[in-house]
Amino acid sequence: MDFGLFDLKIVEYSFFITAVVVILIGLYGALVKRSLIKVVIGLSVFDSGVNLLLISVGYLTSGTAPIYSPGLLKGMPLTLENIKKLSEGMVDPVPQALVLTAIVIGFGVTAVALSLVIRLYRHHKTLNIDEIKNLKW
Amino acid sequence: MVGSPVLFIAIPLLAAFLIPLLGFVWKESIRVLPGLVLIYLLALSVSLLGQVMHTGTIVEVIAGWKPPWGIDLVFSPFTGLLTTVMLTLGFIIWIYSYRFKNVEFEEAKKYFILFMMLITGSVGIVLTGDIFNQFVFIEITSISAYALTAFYKGRDSAEASFKYLMIGSLSSMFLLLAIILIYSQTGTLNMADIAVRAHDMKPSFKVMIVIFFLTGLGIEAEIFPLNGWAPDAYSQAPGPIGAAFAGITVKAGVYALIRIIFTLFDVQGTHEFLIVIGLTTLIIAELSAIRQVLLKRMLAYSSIGQMGLVLVAFGLGTREGVFAALFLMVNHAIIKSLLFLSGSYLVYNSTQKFISEASGMGKHLPITSFLFSLGAIAIVGMPPFAGFWSKWSVLSAASDAGMITVIVLILLVSIVEVVYYFRVINQIYFSRKESHIEPKRPTVNALIAMISLGLIILVIGFWPDTITGYLQAAADTLMDKGKYIHDVLSTGQLLIP
Repeated sequence: MDFGLFDLKIVEYSFFITAVVVILIGLYGALVKRSLIKVVIGLSVFDSGVNLLLISVGYLTSGTAPIYSPGLLKGMPLTLENIKKLSEGMVDPVPQALVLTAIVIGFGVTAVALSLVIRLYRHHKTLNIDEIKNLKW
Repeated sequence: MVGSPVLFIAIPLLAAFLIPLLGFVWKESIRVLPGLVLIYLLALSVSLLGQVMHTGTIVEVIAGWKPPWGIDLVFSPFTGLLTTVMLTLGFIIWIYSYRFKNVEFEEAKKYFILFMMLITGSVGIVLTGDIFNQFVFIEITSISAYALTAFYKGRDSAEASFKYLMIGSLSSMFLLLAIILIYSQTGTLNMADIAVRAHDMKPSFKVMIVIFFLTGLGIEAEIFPLNGWAPDAYSQAPGPIGAAFAGITVKAGVYALIRIIFTLFDVQGTHEFLIVIGLTTLIIAELSAIRQVLLKRMLAYSSIGQMGLVLVAFGLGTREGVFAALFLMVNHAIIKSLLFLSGSYLVYNSTQKFISEASGMGKHLPITSFLFSLGAIAIVGMPPFAGFWSKWSVLSAASDAGMITVIVLILLVSIVEVVYYFRVINQIYFSRKESHIEPKRPTVNALIAMISLGLIILVIGFWPDTITGYLQAAADTLMDKGKYIHDVLSTGQLLIP
């Protein structure tokens, strides 16, 4: 059995497993906790889990950054085949670009949520979700 | 007129950022600028719609990156029609809220910034041809909608908004999960390219993706188990924002859902699922509406019910069904906006907005009451008005598809609808006004806005041919999936800015 390959597989899957565990922790926090601040923290953790999953889709074990530079060719001639060969060792840049956007969106949502929590606290003098029910939940 | 689809997103976004800066120079500009922007975009969208009806879809490539690599905007008869409807309503709501909150400058500034963001997001959802770009626009729409729901500090608006935010952000994460799954399976984010490659995808993955999308988009489209936010948000948000939710955001949500189901993935049984979930939404919403004692909550439940009916019509899957669904969407946008705008004057001076507080307003606010009654009669589908034609086309499409149960259920639910709307009309005209209530006269702007909506209802009611041509073309565009893929991927008409 090729132990090296096995080892790499573990590394690759560990990202997916961690992402799913983080998502589940976030869901638990958002749905079960009764304090509004903890609910917002849960949402934020859920967000991070989804971002990790998105990154791990484009991840390559021992891949390089997706930036072309003449030095990477190491004296090889600049042909289409060589560039293709280089790009196979690079991680996919699209998920990283998506995650940058998703992080900013997550930040915005968390900021709005926290400002709403402040408003709710001033109005009701409590952060317990069970005591804030002027509207039917 | 020279203009390209990218202006529909760029100009309102720019205006939203310019409003606070211009506010330092000239205070009135924060109210004037949104109107100028909206009337220009409306004219542009009408002229572009006339153009695409003859020449075919315009596909705009952003920054020279051709599809499937870059982001593209698709202005077809279908998306163009929805854009035009949204911008028409946006402009009318601007007229209505021009003098809204005329005292506080700061409040008006925030209101108009968020309103422009809401328009940007909703129009972006409809025009974009890139699935991740659509997610970003959905988030822009949602975040401005959360903030607009919490606009009034005195009411329970923060609670409604927090509830909306919880449901909204959880389901948008599901949307992101669906996009991750699509990207990992197809390696592309362009909708037309996904539609081509979806054939090679495993059926189990397709079903999972469609379920994630239904969860993620169902919240904006007010599908039954995900619409708990709607009655609270509609009743706590300012009146014109209720109209904007019903007329603009919800339509964008339904569009996104329909694009996924009709163009991207053809999963077996999705149409039947749409019919079942639509009927469930319709029946539960209308039965909840009849129990409401608060006017705005009643209108919100009625809005959810109408969206259920739209989903049923889309679920029929035939060309007539799609035509009926689009007709219903346009009519609902116009009529429900009129009901929200006039209804919020009928119960202006109360914090609770009980229906009984509208008693006797027929004598004190004759024009507003008349317009509310016009809207109520139109939305239940009485013959000479706009609502009749759309409901009739839904029923005839259902009978063509041979779905007798659907027809019976829709007609039974319509009776419920008639009961609760006519109860309100009865209160307005045949009850005595409660002595402690001071009727609030609508401002001139509000009257102009409401009367123009009333006129549109009458025009569509008496001359439905004015818009059926556009609706037919839109339905044809939506049904023709191959043409959409061809238009986008070939990008025959390159419009590089």
